[in-house]
Amino acid sequence: MSPTQDLTQMTEAELLRMEREIAARHINKFPYFAVFWAFSNFVVWLSLWPLVFMGVIPLWLGFIIASLNITLSYLPSHEAQHDIIAKPGSPLRWLNQLVGHISTIPLVLPYRVAKYTHMEHHKHANDPDKDPDYATHADGPLSAIWRSLYYRQPRADGGLNAYGAALERIGRPDIVLDGVIYQLIHFGILFALAWSGYAIEAALLWWLPRHIALTYIQFYLSWAPHHPGNESGRYRDTRSFRSILGNIGSLGMQYHIVHHLHPRIPLYRTPQAYWEMKPILEARGCNVHEL
Amino acid sequence: MLTVIKTIFYLGPLIFGLGFVAPLSAQIISAAGWALPFGLTPLIAGLIIGGGLGFIAQIRGTWI
Repeated sequence: MSPTQDLTQMTEAELLRMEREIAARHINKFPYFAVFWAFSNFVVWLSLWPLVFMGVIPLWLGFIIASLNITLSYLPSHEAQHDIIAKPGSPLRWLNQLVGHISTIPLVLPYRVAKYTHMEHHKHANDPDKDPDYATHADGPLSAIWRSLYYRQPRADGGLNAYGAALERIGRPDIVLDGVIYQLIHFGILFALAWSGYAIEAALLWWLPRHIALTYIQFYLSWAPHHPGNESGRYRDTRSFRSILGNIGSLGMQYHIVHHLHPRIPLYRTPQAYWEMKPILEARGCNVHEL
Repeated sequence: MLTVIKTIFYLGPLIFGLGFVAPLSAQIISAAGWALPFGLTPLIAGLIIGGGLGFIAQIRGTWI
């Protein structure tokens, strides 16, 4: 199918069949790079601590690498959340779960919290009452960054603070405990390092990089692909967009509409799937005008 | 136990101010070699800064 082909005359059933055929070609591909990425990213971040403490690398360099590490920590877990590495019951299921749990440790985001709230986001994208990520909606990029910071404040009721309410709503308040344990351990480590004379190192290898990463992730994974975010429905709640930082700089989110339509397509296959599906998405009236 | 955890999280800004911002401020002051007024030590200055900012954040519910 040509990317410019006009399919507006096709029926709903024909469009759906073609879309599913394209998706089927990209599903069930093992994401080798995401698995390598998960472990190497985590090991590099861990290694920064002794390297900086022993003076092998300067703290400013450790800060830059840690900011990249933590920003990159979410996506492998995201693949695991959608069972892309291995489905339940398959021999490599343990690897799927291990990637899910390990990769977001630097982000202080427990796997189960991320997974269950993310599934709610998929079910209710752009719903102000049910989408756990709704607080990232904003009029423009600067406003999106401000709201990301604002909703991370102690008594804010959106952002990550809204995840607890979402878990209670779906009947899994037990998973809130994962978040509590992660937070207590995170702050316990920060306080212990700080009172042992390593406060600046703790701030620049974990605390500040984590906030930079959360802002970047919420901007590119939540705000940009859903903006303006005033419609709901399978073909209306997400879009494709052109990022000034390209697809890699936007953490692979330029083609996020494909992910919402077929969440089990691995991240690395979404660009190809997008270009194959684009005439169908245009015929559906999707917001795919920028790319 | 639940009450203890809820209290810790409720007092989060104050605890973070004293537990992290205070030693962080003290170590930044020491590293920068800043001279402090009134004979303050970096740690006392850090506790004033961290405790003060934490107290304000505790009252306002936000650091920004």
